[in-house]
Parts: sequence; C-alpha cells; structure tokens
Amino acid sequence: MAKRTPAPTNELGRQSEPSFLILTSLASGEKHGYALAKDVEAFSGVALGPGTLYGAISRLEERGLIAPVPSDDRRQPYQLTATGRTALAAAVRDMRALADEGAQRLRLSVLSSRLAPRALLTGVAR
Amino acid sequence: MKTTTRYERVLRWYPPQWRHKYGEGLVALLEDTYGENPLPLRVRVSLVRTGTVERVREVGVLGDTASPSERLRAGSLLVLCGWSLFVVAGATFAKFTEHWSVAMAASHRTLPTIADTTTQAAGVIGVIAVLLAAVLVLPSFVRHLRARGWASLRRPLTRAVVALAVTAVMAAGLIVWAHHLNVSQRNGGLALYGAGALLAGFVALATLAIVTSTVITVTRALDLPRATLRLLSTMALGVTVLMGVIAGGIGLWWASEAAFDPRFLASSIGSGVLTTSNTLPPALVVAGVFMVAGLASALAGSARVLGGFRRS
Repeated sequence: MAKRTPAPTNELGRQSEPSFLILTSLASGEKHGYALAKDVEAFSGVALGPGTLYGAISRLEERGLIAPVPSDDRRQPYQLTATGRTALAAAVRDMRALADEGAQRLRLSVLSSRLAPRALLTGVAR
Repeated sequence: MKTTTRYERVLRWYPPQWRHKYGEGLVALLEDTYGENPLPLRVRVSLVRTGTVERVREVGVLGDTASPSERLRAGSLLVLCGWSLFVVAGATFAKFTEHWSVAMAASHRTLPTIADTTTQAAGVIGVIAVLLAAVLVLPSFVRHLRARGWASLRRPLTRAVVALAVTAVMAAGLIVWAHHLNVSQRNGGLALYGAGALLAGFVALATLAIVTSTVITVTRALDLPRATLRLLSTMALGVTVLMGVIAGGIGLWWASEAAFDPRFLASSIGSGVLTTSNTLPPALVVAGVFMVAGLASALAGSARVLGGFRRS
C-alpha cells in the first residue's frame, strides 16, 4: 500500500499552532521576537508565551522554513525562506479547501464576517 | 539585580547550545515584554517547561529533527534508564520476598515458582545484555580517550567512581556489622542497624542514578560506529522485551501470593512500616511504581529506536 504523504498543513500543525502563526506573521516581512508576538496577537488573538514562541522559532529554523536576518541588534529578526513560503502557501491552500468545504456544507456565505466589510468596500470603491 | 542578568538566570533551564543561539533574542523579548516588572509565574513555569523540552530534544529523545543515529542512541539510553529503575525495583522485590517459598504450602508453589524462575532468568539475561553492551562500547571509549584525553569525561567519571566507592564502603561496613548481630537484631530489633540499612539503600539508589547519568554522558560523547549503534539498539529492544517478561512474572507471582498465601504479603513484607496489607504491601507497591516507571521509559525508548530504524 502506498504510504500517505502528510500534507504541509499537518507539518505546520493546525492554524492556531505557533509554527503556522509565526510563518503567517513573517509572510508580511521580517520581524524580531517581540514584533512577532505582537503581530500574532493582533491578527489571531493568540498570545504566544516567550518560551513557546522561541521554541517554535528554533524548530522552524531547524526545518529551514525561516532564517535569521543578519543584525547587530540583540533583537534577532527572522524572515521566511523560500521553503517556508512554499510550505505556508501549501498550508493556506489546504485550509482554504477545508474552509470552503465547511462553508459549502453549512451553506454559509463564502465571505467570512471578518473579511466581508473590507471586500465590500473594495467593491464599492471600484 | 540587573534586568538582563535576572532574565538570563531564568534561561538556565535551556541547554547551553540552545542558549548560545537563541538566549540573547529570548532575553531581549522578555525585556521588551516585561521590562522591570517581575516575571509572571505562568511565564516562569512556561520557560521551565519549554527549557526542559529543549533539553530532552537536544539528546534526541523528542522531536523529528534528530538524525536516525541520534534517535537510536537516545532510544537505547532511555531503555537503559528504564533498566536502572528495574534494578531498584528488582532489588526491592528480591529483598522483601526472599522467603516466600518457605512460607507457602507446597501444593500451591507451582505457579509462583514458574513466575519466580522466569523472572530471575529474564533478569540474568538482562544483566548479561547490559554488560555486553558495555563491552561493545569499550573500543569507542578507548578511541575517544586516545583522541581527546580524559579531560572531557573526567568529571562524570570521577563522580561515578567516588559514588561507587562510598557505596562499597557502606555495604562492606553494614555486612561486617550484620555478622555481629543476631537474627532478631538484623530484622528490626536494632533501630540503629535498621537506620543504617535504610541509609545504605538510599546511597545505593543515588549511586545507581549517578552511574546511569555517567553512562549516558559518556555514551553521548562517543563516536559509535553505525554497526555498533544498530547492534546496541537491537539489544535495547531485547532488554525491553525482557523487562516486560520480568514485570509479567512479578505480577503473576504477586497474584499467586495474594490468592494462595496472603498472610505472607501481610505479615512478612514491610509489616508495620506504614500499613499492612494482604494484597498490596507498601514495600512492593513502591517497587511496583519503580517498575512501571522503568517499563514506561523502556517502551518510550524502544519506540524511539524503532523510529530510528525506520528512518535509517
């Protein structure tokens, strides 16, 4: 029997997992620990503790998904690597497929309540 | 105390290599987040937990980033830790149950005798396997000493030798003392001797922990050939099976005693120490806890070894 290859979503964990949240945060540019923690809390509402955050950072760096940016500051910034960007994109696609499936089965609008106002405004502006 | 120093002290739970790489960034994060304020208890607890996890990951016991070789080595050493706990449990069982066959009626002895004999045979094979593993590691140990000298291993080895020497002296003193006492004095009649025996037991326990820790430190430092590592790992799997046999044998013996000769469990084992019981004497319960912990450690180690074999 063919061995099932785990989906990238599984490798990064669920959407609330620190690894996924950190990669999502770094997708908009390099950040150091404090900026990462604040950004993650702002867009997800999840407050990552210092130990958890750095544990995830070290794991992501070991896997080559993020890399430190050379800096003279003690606040070490990190950025997504090409592999990290690919893994995040794959995970986002998996999640979108799952979300679409869930929305379809629940007969929900495809626009989430959080995205709807911005999308509508964009539509009005056009 | 200076803020940075205060935060750096909290990071002592992390392994040195990890601290070297991420410590400064983590300290900066703590400074940015908490400044001069005291670190909340939940953050301290979280740092202790994550630091300990990093230490466990560093030795290859957890995580998926360790190489197959590291997994084999870490898994085998985890089995060794389990075996050490089994030694404690086994010695306790042996001491407290040594006269069971005299106490039990001959008609009921068959089942516990089979259990006891199986347990002892598995124990002897296990000891031989552990000694054989030490012999297999010896050439790499000698190579390490020739290449790097004693310096890197002097501290743990000295600690282990001193601990063994102290235990040997205490045991010898206790044996000589015992020869000057009568049976009654040796079996609870002389409180001072009882206290000495208890102290010797604790010292032996500490020595076993120190020696196990030394073996782990030394084995992690060695450059083991792939074939040796695979052989050691296979032996670790075998030792885990033996531990299962021993646990099963003791369980069967215990159940037989409880069914056929409960008075022995109630009156002969740990009688009056804490409480007496004709099914669960305290001394055997304590030994059982050690045994379960040892078996859990060995099973976790074996799972790690099997994972290493699959990936290599």
